[in-house]
Amino acid sequence: MNMLEVKDLRKRFGDNEVLKGINLTLKKGEVLAIIGSSGGGKTTLLRCLNFLEKANSGEILVGGRSVYRATEGEKPEVTPEAQLSFGLVFQQFNLFPQYSVIENLMLAPKLRAKRKTTQGERETPEAIRERAEKLLATVGLSEKANAYPCQLSGGQQQRVAIARALMLSPDILCFDEPTSSLDPELTGEVLRVIRSLKSSDRTMIIVTHEMEFARHVADKVIFISDGIIEEQGTPEEVFGNPQSEKTKAFLSAGQKV
Amino acid sequence: MEQFWKITLDLCVGFGETLKIFFITLAMALPLGLIISFGSMSKFKPLAFLTRGFVWIIRGTPLMLQLITVYYGPGLVFKQMLFTAPMAVYITFTINYACYFSEIYRGGIESITKGQYEAGQVLGMTRRETFFKVILLQVVKRIIAPMSNEIITLVKDTSLARVVTYYELIYFAQRYTKNAGLLWPLFYTAVYYLVFTAILTLLFRWLEKKLDYFKA
Repeated sequence: MNMLEVKDLRKRFGDNEVLKGINLTLKKGEVLAIIGSSGGGKTTLLRCLNFLEKANSGEILVGGRSVYRATEGEKPEVTPEAQLSFGLVFQQFNLFPQYSVIENLMLAPKLRAKRKTTQGERETPEAIRERAEKLLATVGLSEKANAYPCQLSGGQQQRVAIARALMLSPDILCFDEPTSSLDPELTGEVLRVIRSLKSSDRTMIIVTHEMEFARHVADKVIFISDGIIEEQGTPEEVFGNPQSEKTKAFLSAGQKV
Repeated sequence: MEQFWKITLDLCVGFGETLKIFFITLAMALPLGLIISFGSMSKFKPLAFLTRGFVWIIRGTPLMLQLITVYYGPGLVFKQMLFTAPMAVYITFTINYACYFSEIYRGGIESITKGQYEAGQVLGMTRRETFFKVILLQVVKRIIAPMSNEIITLVKDTSLARVVTYYELIYFAQRYTKNAGLLWPLFYTAVYYLVFTAILTLLFRWLEKKLDYFKA
């Protein structure tokens, strides 16, 4: 079964149509890399999946269930369950500066456990802390649990942001150019963490400019240009034998630099 | 010397009245200012327009005139006083200061990056939770300096309450001029204001230090 199915997703800002009908599917445990030049719609697609922008039309299904379905002129409300189907790691980290690392991880789950509308069993604060400590170990930052974001390097902040997103156990974890605002020497640690997260039950979508990383980690690559999926396939297909002229031009431009 | 201590103690009573205006105004204007700032930032245009118009009127007219209007206005219109002097003073000061505070809040709130709200949203937090648990403390840190300015101004603005027969510190001092021909108690009141603003200054400095642990 498909973990994610996106059907004819369209997004306009005023007269500017940024997504012109995106269709894609992703199986559980797959890693999708989205590549393409700036302004092509990669980030908008990711933001629509996380409901930071509401698509004007189209449908999003997670695990076969429709979580968002918009028709022209009608944008539905996003339910908390739909929101939590996706997690997002931002380019700019967006950690909460007044909270320590461990508090950044625990804040949202704690609020969720307290909320009246939360269904099912409520997680205890102790259980939340235990999970947070485990995840910090996963991203290699156990010793920074009580540090504040301003005391961390960019790479460390991004690793905290990844752990924070994982705390909500999203079905699909998205990364929006996770290394683009980092110094080159710090990108490695973040990419290593992302690579280590790859497992049979974790589905991920990564918008990236790191072609080498996309080639080695992704199961599937799509090249978006001008609001449409210009090319998609396995990394071997897209990087090794691109069919579209635009893809070829994009990939060769990258190599020349 | 005995007279000095007697007058000092008497002025303390007057200063107590001054502090009453100060603390009541602060307690009511701080939350009301936040509500007004939400109004002026509202996406519902008529509400934003009305709120900003109201803030313009309050900030555009003298506090003394507002005091007179609230205290004597109802009497002129309805032929009946509506408020006692203390009530008129508390109401006017609260509204006046809430309007100034609202603009400081608005500046602070609008300076927080969109990414903080978005992070809250993708973590499944409600808008309310994001505002109170994430945004507010960052706003507080950013507005301490302009807020301390306004609050210190409030200490001295309390002396305007005298025009609607509210008996505060300066009124107490002027009684000695009128009744005993003594001028020094009036100048002596400066000491009360200075000591109190010094305490406030130290308090704000402490708060600033306290929030120094993070960058926002």
